[in-house]
Amino acid sequence: MRTAGVLTLALLLPGVVADDEKRPLTFEQDVLPIFRAKCIRCHAGVEPKAGLNLTSPSSLLTGGMSGAALRIRAAESSLLYEKISSDEMPPIGQKLTPRQKGIIRRWINDGAQGVHNAVSIDQSDAVTGVEHWSFHPPIRAAVPTVSEKDRVRNPVDAFALRQLQRRQLTLAPGADRLTLLRRASFDLIGLPPSPDEVKQFISDQRPDAYERLIDRLLSSAHYGERWARHWLDVAGFAETAGILNEDLGLPLAWKYRDYVIRAFNSDKPYDRFLQEQIAGDELTDYWTAFESMDTLHDDVVEGITATGFLRTAADPSRPDFSEIKNAASQYFYPTLFDTLQIVCSSTMGLTIQCARCHSHKFDPIPQVDYYRMQAVFMSAYRPDDWIPQMERRLLIASKKEKQAAEQRNAEVDKNVSELQSDLEELKKTFASRLFEDRLAELPTEVRDEIRAALAIATEIRTDTQRKLVAKYEERLRPQDSELDSALVEYDGYKYQLDRLNTQLAVEKRRRWKFDEVRALYDIPGESKTPVLLRGDALTPGPLVKPGVISSLETPEAFEWTAPDAGAKTSGRRLAFARWLTQPDHPLTARVMVNRIWMHHFGTGLVATPDDFGVSGSPPSHPELLDWLATEFVRSGWSIKNLHRLILTSATWQQSSRVSAQHRQAGEQADPDNRLYWRQTMKRLDAETLRDSALTVSGILNRELYGASQEIPRQQYGKLIVPVGENPNRRSVYVKNQRLYPDSMLQVFDQPTMSVNCVQRNTSTVSTQALTLLNGEILTRAATAFADRVLAEFPEDPTGGAYLIAYSRRPGSDEYSFLTQFLNELTMQYRSEQDQTKSHTADFPDTARQQAFSDLCHMLMSSSEFLYVD
Amino acid sequence: MVDKCPDGTDIGIVASEQSEYITAERPVSMTPFNPISRRNALSQFGSGFGGLALGTLLNETTSTAHAMSSAAPHFEAPAKAVIQLYMHGGPSHVDLLDPKPVLNRFDGTIPPDEVADDEKRTKNLMGSPFRFRQYGQSGLEFSEIQPYVAKHADDIAVVRSMFTEHRNHEQAIWMAQTGMIMPGRPTLGAWTAFGLGTENRNLPAFVALPDPDGNSVDGIRNWSNGWLPPHYQGTAFREQGTPVANLHPNQPRSRAIEDARMRLLRRLNDQHLASRPGEEELDARIETFELAGRMQLAATDALDLSQETAYTQRLYGLDHETTKSYGTRCLMARRLVERGVRFVSLFMFQQPWDTHSNNNERTKQCCQRTDQPVGALLTDLRQRGLLDSTLVFWGGEFGRTPTAEQQKPGAVFGRDHHPYGFSVWLAGGGIKGGQHYGATDDFGHRAVENRTQTANLHATILHQLGLDHETLTWHHNGRDERLTDVYDARLIEKLIT
Repeated sequence: MRTAGVLTLALLLPGVVADDEKRPLTFEQDVLPIFRAKCIRCHAGVEPKAGLNLTSPSSLLTGGMSGAALRIRAAESSLLYEKISSDEMPPIGQKLTPRQKGIIRRWINDGAQGVHNAVSIDQSDAVTGVEHWSFHPPIRAAVPTVSEKDRVRNPVDAFALRQLQRRQLTLAPGADRLTLLRRASFDLIGLPPSPDEVKQFISDQRPDAYERLIDRLLSSAHYGERWARHWLDVAGFAETAGILNEDLGLPLAWKYRDYVIRAFNSDKPYDRFLQEQIAGDELTDYWTAFESMDTLHDDVVEGITATGFLRTAADPSRPDFSEIKNAASQYFYPTLFDTLQIVCSSTMGLTIQCARCHSHKFDPIPQVDYYRMQAVFMSAYRPDDWIPQMERRLLIASKKEKQAAEQRNAEVDKNVSELQSDLEELKKTFASRLFEDRLAELPTEVRDEIRAALAIATEIRTDTQRKLVAKYEERLRPQDSELDSALVEYDGYKYQLDRLNTQLAVEKRRRWKFDEVRALYDIPGESKTPVLLRGDALTPGPLVKPGVISSLETPEAFEWTAPDAGAKTSGRRLAFARWLTQPDHPLTARVMVNRIWMHHFGTGLVATPDDFGVSGSPPSHPELLDWLATEFVRSGWSIKNLHRLILTSATWQQSSRVSAQHRQAGEQADPDNRLYWRQTMKRLDAETLRDSALTVSGILNRELYGASQEIPRQQYGKLIVPVGENPNRRSVYVKNQRLYPDSMLQVFDQPTMSVNCVQRNTSTVSTQALTLLNGEILTRAATAFADRVLAEFPEDPTGGAYLIAYSRRPGSDEYSFLTQFLNELTMQYRSEQDQTKSHTADFPDTARQQAFSDLCHMLMSSSEFLYVD
Repeated sequence: MVDKCPDGTDIGIVASEQSEYITAERPVSMTPFNPISRRNALSQFGSGFGGLALGTLLNETTSTAHAMSSAAPHFEAPAKAVIQLYMHGGPSHVDLLDPKPVLNRFDGTIPPDEVADDEKRTKNLMGSPFRFRQYGQSGLEFSEIQPYVAKHADDIAVVRSMFTEHRNHEQAIWMAQTGMIMPGRPTLGAWTAFGLGTENRNLPAFVALPDPDGNSVDGIRNWSNGWLPPHYQGTAFREQGTPVANLHPNQPRSRAIEDARMRLLRRLNDQHLASRPGEEELDARIETFELAGRMQLAATDALDLSQETAYTQRLYGLDHETTKSYGTRCLMARRLVERGVRFVSLFMFQQPWDTHSNNNERTKQCCQRTDQPVGALLTDLRQRGLLDSTLVFWGGEFGRTPTAEQQKPGAVFGRDHHPYGFSVWLAGGGIKGGQHYGATDDFGHRAVENRTQTANLHATILHQLGLDHETLTWHHNGRDERLTDVYDARLIEKLIT
């Protein structure tokens, strides 16, 4: 065996110089001579080998057939260094000496002085004449006329029926009222109906009882919690910065979550919703408000809070990251990449990220368009001038308020320090009185000696003095609490102390503090956006101006002009938001309508909500999709209107349980139910499952909004993050951690965010079974559930449990096996208890309660609880 | 075996013939609320390696078959399982596997430009205090601090020319575990589980063995399924308490109570299913409860180390405080592989190999904790005839600088992170041992000979399991994703032929 000797030992230089003494290397003086000596026989001239010309600093990044010759400040991964360090190049003649290699390495690592941005980029696809349907505005088709008119409740049904009838299919019969009640409740508010709500709806004989139900659910504050969660998925919301192990918390992130909940609850028009999230600061003119208003108006605060949408991408940056070599390419650019991916996949359903490295392989999106859109966000996110994530925030305050606060707080600081010295003075005065008084209690002859002993410095005390100090100091000069309790005995002390402390407290309360929001805002000054060759920030190419996907046919073009120098914000994001939310944008309304449809039916009209591009799935009902999209815009982008439209359709209301005949016909013609010949049975998603368990057991904390509930965490077997005071809030308020998610929610497919989640998995795995049977939440909920039914339904607790969990009473067969179960378990528990202790008042018979708790636990683990018909 | 995906018709036939069996855990991506139909699922698989994975799908989901049927890989291959000994922090290659006499000779001197620390976080060259010796017939070199592993020199292939793309732990871990510097992708273990399915239906295909003291750096992402279906996520088995989270209730229940609960649940679910014929999802749900029950027994049994002889326990160092923890996980790994688990990953708390200060002492301590257990694992696998079918893979996210780091004046020298050249080793599973592959320069700074990117290593490991890294794909984000992604990955032929 042999160790490869690649560096020649003879050339190892003893006369090396320390780094700081080394002068900076230049292309002309240091590097070019080496290239001239060893490389230009091939890599120069009109037709250089492999297209790589090494004689001009402008050609190194442009590179040759194999791409850029170097990556700035990263010699080890530069093609040039790779070839020379391994002696692959030059292929014939003398190799580079270690010293020459070292020079080139250091030159690259110190920034490749003299190198110019690459000039040529991937233009492989100057896009013209794009045919793809989703790149053209929706066209509103006339509502078709169909047979079976009695099934048509609204245009949705006409579109659906026409396609069903073409395949000799039809809608399934409508579901019964109870099923509709449960389905609507879970769909709209994510909680099961209470027994009272069941009773009320079933007995409501008014013809518009169902419409009233939908209105009631849509006006519930829980509606916003449910639908915000869907949006938070596509927004990639998380409350930790956490792509790195420390999973740094983002204490202000929940304000954006609350903004989303409020937006859904108030049915904020979707175009406005997007404009605020992308450019809320520019839309509400934050900087003018900041500069000129006495106080920021609510809409401005709402606007800057909404930009939290652009802050969801993982951003682990800290102030010390600026010291890291190539931090921009390694840490800052990725945040920008993720942000663009989130914006494009959530609002336009495009997999734009493919175009970061090369022109899109499937969709008509050239690479340069990617960077034009990146330029929209470049004024705010500046990889070369990065603001660490914890410092990127805005105060909820105007300039006047900030100045007034600074003034007042300076005054407060002064007063506080005066009061504190008054307090010290007071204490000192009374302490010396105490000293004299206690000294006076001692025999006269020792007083002076003690006084002298205490006055003298410790090191030079005599032995006698030391003994005296040891004996009397504690008594004469008591410390801390002992001193405090001794002093209050003095007349006047307590009074003055209290007075000063009160003044201090009053003063401290005068201090002005402002709430903060995690916002995105522009940094003044011009920003530059280079195209990055192969998406690599270390091989920058030509600069581009802000723009959008050029192949999308939009009636209104993207319009942006550079603002005056000195403008506080560039207006780029607002221009983009306006372009995106124009009524006839080919994608914006379609993508959102599709997403809402998907949450009501299980599958979207376009089955790939993240990909409306060429490789995505084509719409099952193109005309319905376009009709809904245009209807959505016509209604003023009202999402609640869309829910009403869908939920009052016969298509949505049809039963998921169908006759064998209907099923057979459907499965034969359309096995995937893409044509909606029945409703789809749906599993509760993670949050709804947890929230439902807490609801039926009566322990759900229905408090709205606010800071998130912590997830307990252990290390070395010790709890390092404790459970909060109330662990039973709705799941949307459970902290969304990237690295340490809540285990129950995770097991049931809550996404752990790396970028964002446009469509969840719905898995069926055995860890779910274990979580249901033995997990902490259901176990706890089961006990509470049992207590609840025994208290609320003392006559018929079994029936009560069914009513609460399933919204129905048990049948007689069910009664009989449930009763049998209860009797068997009660006896079993009793026999197990008997072995340890007998029942007294202190040890009541809990067997029946335990049996009930098991019954409730199984109800919550059962399919009827987990699935919605 | 074919390695191309069969056409759609074939898939359709297979599916309809066996459709009544598709009931249990489904390794199938499902859209929200609406399980992708079987046909979609199959065409999804079809886009990658169709009919072959389909075999897995069907076999695995056969609710009646107790015969352990493994999925057919893409081609015949020696390895059935992988044990990954992940070394968090980045072990120092020049102190363990890559002897550098030149480095020792120039100890304490300023490095020349071609090996100087480009981030200037370290300064002078630092030789290794550990003596290297040749072991076995092959004479493969190991340093003196890993005598137990060195005994297996003839089974071990050291790759000395690894390099990675990031100097920070997490990013380099993502590269090592998921093939790219990007969080959120599936790990090598998840890809293996996806490609091969499980051999033992009562145990997960991919098991992670975290340190009971706490998570390693990057936490649960070390066994993440990324965007692969959750079925392929590693299941963390614990060596203390119950082996799997929620395997047993916090408050123990008697057998009688447990049985009565399960009978009630079964009755509720059967009745619910009876009025919803054709809802396969409900069958699958019922099966998860059955499987959970079987897993309770199988996992408990697999991790019951008291079944091992005193000799074996001593072999793994269970009788010594220093080696007990890692030895326990090594022994668990062998028992799991023996029972058909496909991929077992072993982890240590935080990142013990991250020797920024006191490199020599701390590297030695890491060896004291792991060397005997790892040696025992190789011995034990060999004795049981499992080594030929089990690929053992040792390594971390990068190596350490040949230059010395001093965190503050007076501190004992350490070594910093080093991505440009480092070593990992492989043994068993058809790997040709007794050799090293590739080389770094004379200082151990840069891999210069047979430079080995992570993708090559991943492709080679998958290949040993009978999986082709180019056809093992999953459609996500508008493209067919694979472990080796955009890299031009090549098999390390010298290791496998």
